[in-house]
Amino acid sequence: MQHHPLASKVRDDFPILKREINDFPLAYLDNAATTQKPNCVIDSLLDFYSTHNSNVSRGVYTLAEEATEIYEEGRESIAKFIGATDSGNIIFTRGTTESINLVASAWAQHNLKTGDRIIVTEMEHHSNLVPWQMAAQASGAELVYWPITPEAGSTSVGLLELEELEELLTDSVKLLAVTAVSNVLGTVNPIAKIVEMAHERGIPVLVDAAQAVARMPIDVSGLDCDFLAFSGHKVYGPTGIGVLYAKKERLDEMQPFQGGGGMIRQVGRQSSTWADSPQKFEAGTPPVAEVSGLAAALEYVSDVGISEIQKHEKELTAHALNRFAEFSDLELYGPQDTCDRTGVLSFNLRNVHPHDAAQVLDESGIAVRAGHHCTQILHERLGVAASVRMSFGIYNEVSEIDRLFSSLDRARDIFLD
Amino acid sequence: MSTNSIYRDLLLDHARHPKYSGCLEHPDLKASAFNPLCGDELELTLALSGETIHDCRTQVRGCSICIASASMMSEFILERTLSEVLQISKEFSKSLRKDTEDIPETIESLRPLIDLKTHRSRIKCMRLAWDALEDCAAQHQT
Repeated sequence: MQHHPLASKVRDDFPILKREINDFPLAYLDNAATTQKPNCVIDSLLDFYSTHNSNVSRGVYTLAEEATEIYEEGRESIAKFIGATDSGNIIFTRGTTESINLVASAWAQHNLKTGDRIIVTEMEHHSNLVPWQMAAQASGAELVYWPITPEAGSTSVGLLELEELEELLTDSVKLLAVTAVSNVLGTVNPIAKIVEMAHERGIPVLVDAAQAVARMPIDVSGLDCDFLAFSGHKVYGPTGIGVLYAKKERLDEMQPFQGGGGMIRQVGRQSSTWADSPQKFEAGTPPVAEVSGLAAALEYVSDVGISEIQKHEKELTAHALNRFAEFSDLELYGPQDTCDRTGVLSFNLRNVHPHDAAQVLDESGIAVRAGHHCTQILHERLGVAASVRMSFGIYNEVSEIDRLFSSLDRARDIFLD
Repeated sequence: MSTNSIYRDLLLDHARHPKYSGCLEHPDLKASAFNPLCGDELELTLALSGETIHDCRTQVRGCSICIASASMMSEFILERTLSEVLQISKEFSKSLRKDTEDIPETIESLRPLIDLKTHRSRIKCMRLAWDALEDCAAQHQT
């Protein structure tokens, strides 16, 4: 079995990778959906519940102070990981979806009016689309779609072109919401340039970093984006924890998201006043154990090294692209060049439904996803209802990709006459 | 579970050569069903004589299990009354539950599908045609 240096170094850190599925070693190729957890993350959850568990803030006893410290130190290490200068700009949520909903509800609904426009792209995940539809419907604004380049057999397939954006950036645009990396096409978008163009016209930008966070360095200060959202579980951390970064100016424009404990300054009988950010946006008992797990995950990723991860993923992607080129009955969506894309590859085996293909792969222990991957607009644009998606993590090996291509032969045998 | 056991020859035969595929031009009842998880969709058209289904077609954009289930259902429901097939549909639903072990004789011919129920993610694929059928029956009642 061919071992990539990074994969062989880290594989032992992930206990789940020892599992066999249907008598085959697990080949986990569904990292765009969620990543597996290293021991250090599992241990940090265990340690929190076995040693420090209590609620945060307002407790004067030792455990409460420890829990509060873990929670606030977590905020600081997460701020550092994404290049935020102040941990006060980090709001904890349940995930990317809640982070974006928070902005749609606490910011957009109060700052949009009839006739305003929100630019989204055709490649957005439903989580960066539906909240804007809801905000638009509530405020009388409308969504404008930045199209992807056509499926025309060229190498520039599934990209966002900046010239197109230039035309869309009119005075009525009040927000641009864009993903850093497509969860279907694998496209890496030129976020820095996009933010720069939008800011030239005073338009705030929200970046969906759900797929980017585990695959490339994130620097919110360098990017100068207004909002950035990601989930812990896609960067080797626990589920149920997400992050919203918001710039100071935007935080000041935001109304509370949910009401409850922890987000108030003073409560009167008829009305209340709000705590400062970020507590203003964190009503209720926060996910303390999950924050500790996320901090452990980000430390793990930093130790492995984001540039190592990028190199590893590029090699896997290049290998997969070469393998795709061998088969005329495999249709791969998205850019065909590793310069424009990362290790998220969606495809179809001609005349075999993605569900069927994925089921056959599972019988060989290969975990991939089949469906529209929460991107119905994009799949409509691609002209297919669904696709099979493989997506890489730091522990994946070239041999696992080869196993996938071999198993597709079994799908051909079963489903094609 | 091996491919041989889950994709029984019968199912594959139905999937490759679905029976009663397409749309009736002048249906008495028509219903669509959609699987939001994978985007699969299906349209069922029925022609009745009285209460009895005397012709049917399904137009499916879906996986092999979805197509096979629609094909098997079409064979099954012809020349039966709507209330009869509604009852069958309920029995089929019940047999797909995790904790149901016995398969009533009335739906024995659906066993190749029911055997797949351990794959919980595929239940909706099997049910899509039947959901449309229940919709037709409901329309007829009102």
